[in-house]
Amino acid sequence: MTNHRPSGFANPWFQFVLNIIGVVIYELLLKAGAAATADPAKSWSWFGINALASPLTWLAIAVIILDLVIWLYILRYIPLSIAFPLSRTVDVLVPISCWLILRETISPLRWGGIALVIIGLVVVAKPAAELEERL
Amino acid sequence: MITIAVAVILIWLATFVAGQLLFKRAMDLSRKVGFRNRRTISVLSVGILVMTLSFCLNLGLLQRFDLSYLYPFQGSSIIIITLLAAIILKEKLTPRLMIGTLLITAGVVLVSMS
Repeated sequence: MTNHRPSGFANPWFQFVLNIIGVVIYELLLKAGAAATADPAKSWSWFGINALASPLTWLAIAVIILDLVIWLYILRYIPLSIAFPLSRTVDVLVPISCWLILRETISPLRWGGIALVIIGLVVVAKPAAELEERL
Repeated sequence: MITIAVAVILIWLATFVAGQLLFKRAMDLSRKVGFRNRRTISVLSVGILVMTLSFCLNLGLLQRFDLSYLYPFQGSSIIIITLLAAIILKEKLTPRLMIGTLLITAGVVLVSMS
C-alpha cells in the first residue's frame, strides 16, 4: 500500500462521514418506500421487487449508488477491518433516527445496546487514529 | 414462514459479507494494478452483483419487519467481516481492534434482541 493520502474534500475520513450520513438517509428512505408498497401475501415479495413502485425506493437507490462509490473510495485507503466496524456508527444513528423520524419505539434494553456500540466505536477509533499516524 | 425468514436473513448476511470482502479486494487491486485491469473489473463486478442480491433481499425483509428491529442483524456481520478481512485479506488484527469489534457486535445484537 502506498503512503499517499489525499487531503481536504478527498480525505478518506471526511468521505467516511459523508458515507455514514448517506447510509442513514437511504435506510430511512428504503423503509418508507418498502412500507408504502408492502404486500407480504405474495411469496415472491421476499425479493422486495414491488418496493420499486415507490419513488422513495428509487431515491434510496440513487443515494445507495452514490454511497457505494464513496465506500469504494474509502476502501482504497482504509483497511476493511477498521473501516467496517467504524461504519457501524449507523447502528446507533439508524435506531435513533427511527425513533425521532419514523416514531418507532426504543426499549431500555435497546438503549443499552446502543451504549455498547458507542463504547466499541471509541475503542476501535484508537487503532484508526494510529493508522492515520502511519499514513 | 419463520424458517423462510431465517433463511432469507442468513442469505442476506452471507451476500453482504462476501460483497464487502470483494469490494476491498477490488480496491486493493485497483491500487496495485489499476482500475482498468481485467482482474479489478471482474472482482468489482462480482462484488456489485452479490451486493445487489443482498439489497433485494434486504428490501423483501424490510416489508415484513421494523427497520430498527431488522437492521441491527447486519451488525452480526461486523465480527465476521473483521475476522475474514484478517484471514483472507491478511489485514492486521490487534487485540484492541478485536475488543472494540466485539463490543460493537454485542451492542448491535442487544439492540436487535430488545
